[in-house]
Amino acid sequence: MKRKITAIICCAVLAAGMLAGCGRGADKTETGQTGESGKKGQVVVTMPVTSEPEAGFDPAYGWGAGEHVHEPLVQSTLTTTTKDLKLGKDLATDYSVSEDGLTWTVSIRDDVKFTDGEPLTAEDVAFTYNNCREKSTVNDFTMLKEAVATDGTTVEFHMNRPFSIWPYTMAVVGIVPEHAYDESYGQNPIGSGRYIMKQWDKGQQVIFEANPDYYGEAPKIQKVTVLFMEEDAALAAAMAGQVDVAHTAASYSSQEIDGYGLLAVQTVDNRGFNLPCSEPQEKDGVTYGNAFTSDINVRRAINIGIDRQEMIENVLAGYGTAAYSVCDKMPWYNEECEVAFDREGAKKLLDDAGWTVGSDGIREKNGVKAAFTLMFSSGDSVRQALAEDTANQLKELGIQVTTEGVGWDTAYERAQSEPLVWGWGAHTPMELYNIYHTLEGTGIGQAEYSPYANETVDSYMDQALEAGTAEESYELWQKAQWDGSTGITQEGDIPWIWLCNIDHLYFVRDGLKVADQKIHPHGHGWSIINNVDQWAWE
Amino acid sequence: MKRLNRRQRVLLGLGVSVVFLILICVAGILSGEAARVTDFSRKNLAPCGKYIFGTDWLGRDMLARTLKGLSLSILIGILAAAVSAVIALVLGVASAVMGKWVDEAITFVIDLIMGIPHILLLILISVALGKGLKGVIVGVALSHWPSLARLIRAEVMQLKESPYIQIAEKLGKSRWYIARKHMLPHLLPQFLVGLVLLFPHAILHESSITFLGFGLSTEQPAIGIVLSEAMKYLITGKWWLALFPGILLVVIVVLFYVAGESLRKLLDPGSVHE
Repeated sequence: MKRKITAIICCAVLAAGMLAGCGRGADKTETGQTGESGKKGQVVVTMPVTSEPEAGFDPAYGWGAGEHVHEPLVQSTLTTTTKDLKLGKDLATDYSVSEDGLTWTVSIRDDVKFTDGEPLTAEDVAFTYNNCREKSTVNDFTMLKEAVATDGTTVEFHMNRPFSIWPYTMAVVGIVPEHAYDESYGQNPIGSGRYIMKQWDKGQQVIFEANPDYYGEAPKIQKVTVLFMEEDAALAAAMAGQVDVAHTAASYSSQEIDGYGLLAVQTVDNRGFNLPCSEPQEKDGVTYGNAFTSDINVRRAINIGIDRQEMIENVLAGYGTAAYSVCDKMPWYNEECEVAFDREGAKKLLDDAGWTVGSDGIREKNGVKAAFTLMFSSGDSVRQALAEDTANQLKELGIQVTTEGVGWDTAYERAQSEPLVWGWGAHTPMELYNIYHTLEGTGIGQAEYSPYANETVDSYMDQALEAGTAEESYELWQKAQWDGSTGITQEGDIPWIWLCNIDHLYFVRDGLKVADQKIHPHGHGWSIINNVDQWAWE
Repeated sequence: MKRLNRRQRVLLGLGVSVVFLILICVAGILSGEAARVTDFSRKNLAPCGKYIFGTDWLGRDMLARTLKGLSLSILIGILAAAVSAVIALVLGVASAVMGKWVDEAITFVIDLIMGIPHILLLILISVALGKGLKGVIVGVALSHWPSLARLIRAEVMQLKESPYIQIAEKLGKSRWYIARKHMLPHLLPQFLVGLVLLFPHAILHESSITFLGFGLSTEQPAIGIVLSEAMKYLITGKWWLALFPGILLVVIVVLFYVAGESLRKLLDPGSVHE
């Protein structure tokens, strides 16, 4: 008995000793011992482990595209997005669309070579897109019928339906060489981009080196090492001086690290929650709709009853901006989405709609309690904190919110009847379409992720896709949000509540000048090194 | 002060641990609401007079969370250990009483389950049942019985050879009559001690799989959740988030162990000399 207790105590002491040992080990490591960090012309950058591309650096399997869109670095793209998220050109010298919107013609540069010395031709472009159309599960290519190279420098995209924002798709698809493409391409990518992928130690790091034959401005940073690690490990790495840029979270932002400064990058990486707009009904064993949030006045009250600024201070230590839509600050954003915080106004809305405060302080109407469960993905501390703060704030309005951590395996289905904290934000207006446009065959005739349907909103988005060019479509996307009489804003149907855009935070070593960033999309990973070629050491 | 004799020391150990465990349970039940209340105006406070265990990044009182988490663990432990012990008793007795074929089958299952690492089996069962409270309880209950079952089986085997059982058999008493009337009373002490000694295992395993993310849901103040959340903040120097809950978890486990061992010494004095 005594011996066993002694054994337990010994184990505890041993474990404590081991932990302390680890800590000391990290402290001892001197700056730059890993070789590259802190050296001129090289950078070491950390990213979340989830940023590591599972299927490698193949655009057909999501590299650069999908939910966490970014520039593919190893490959070139036809177009690019500029700092204000308008369109620029990379390989393309010119592009145009036919009257009916069904044919895009793109001319490309003739002086570009892949890193294996072969020239990049229109054939490669056509091959890349046809390959993506067949294989891509991450990006939607259903609008593309076929890509055809008409000569060495011209490629035509024949579409199944008009798709005015096609240039935004062209900005994320990296062009792969037809002659060097096989199933293992993702592991050994050959491209024509600014960098060459030199080494990939799975689960640990990727090393890129500058492409000496790059057709554009030569990269200033010759070698980029990307380390995959959790935020706490990244913080430890920065404290030990082993990395130049360490991604971090608001909860660590108050840490002071000698030799490092905090960089906050504005984003459209938003967090918000859906409010199912229909009365609850069963279909195929899934409940769609929610008795409480189906009342439009409830949704309006929640939207103006949340103090976003206080939430940003509470949860994000001030590192964020209030969000009013899924596309704040994008060229297709409609400023009508913005609302002012008005708790009294929110209470009045609820009072007028017949939601009276009961003896327990919770409102009620015709036997329906003013209550819902707000779900968040388990393990995401920011979403959890946002959910908790939402619950606290809505309690002031007489609405009872219970928070619950859920896994993604059940979250999508449950979100059809209960609000869930989501994260969105991409460099394409398709994000609006994905959230608000009805999708054939989904649920009870509704948008994909939460019961909502509005024919007018749908029709503006359909028109936007049929508009001639992306630039012409911006206004229609804005009208889909609010056209003066209907939409998805406070005065409209308000089927989603947007809370905040989360600044992406990084500890950056003093002396490293990180080039100006465009507004980051959802995902705290690759976006930071979109323009790593323009970074500089001072 | 007069020195206590061994029996008194054992009784004292048993009494203190049981009282302490009950106190934790009651405190946990009372602090249920407080454990979930978030208040951003008091977040990340180090231990002080008002919050003696400090607060976390959502401004939740760590004392309330720790107590609630431990009481949750104790309740899960008791429930799971009880179910597990009953399974062990039934299978142990059946194995010894119901003939060779049944014995071989049960022994095989015992070996099979003991061959799989506990934690792996637990994760499998818990995930298959959709995690949450149910998954954890069923998981712990279904993975902890083999060692006790084996112990009981051995005991029954031994009993079967004893003269009074053999005489009862000769008198034509049925197997179940013998098992019920002659064996169960004899097995009770072993069973009780085994049951109590299952608690610490059950509690540790519950917190382990919750810590690993396969157990209770994040918003529940379970001790595994408290500890895994604390891990993220250790690097920023918030030592209180992990230290107090961790120490208390160890204390609880040790207390259950003390209680179990004391019970064994009371019920089976001979074992002291082993």
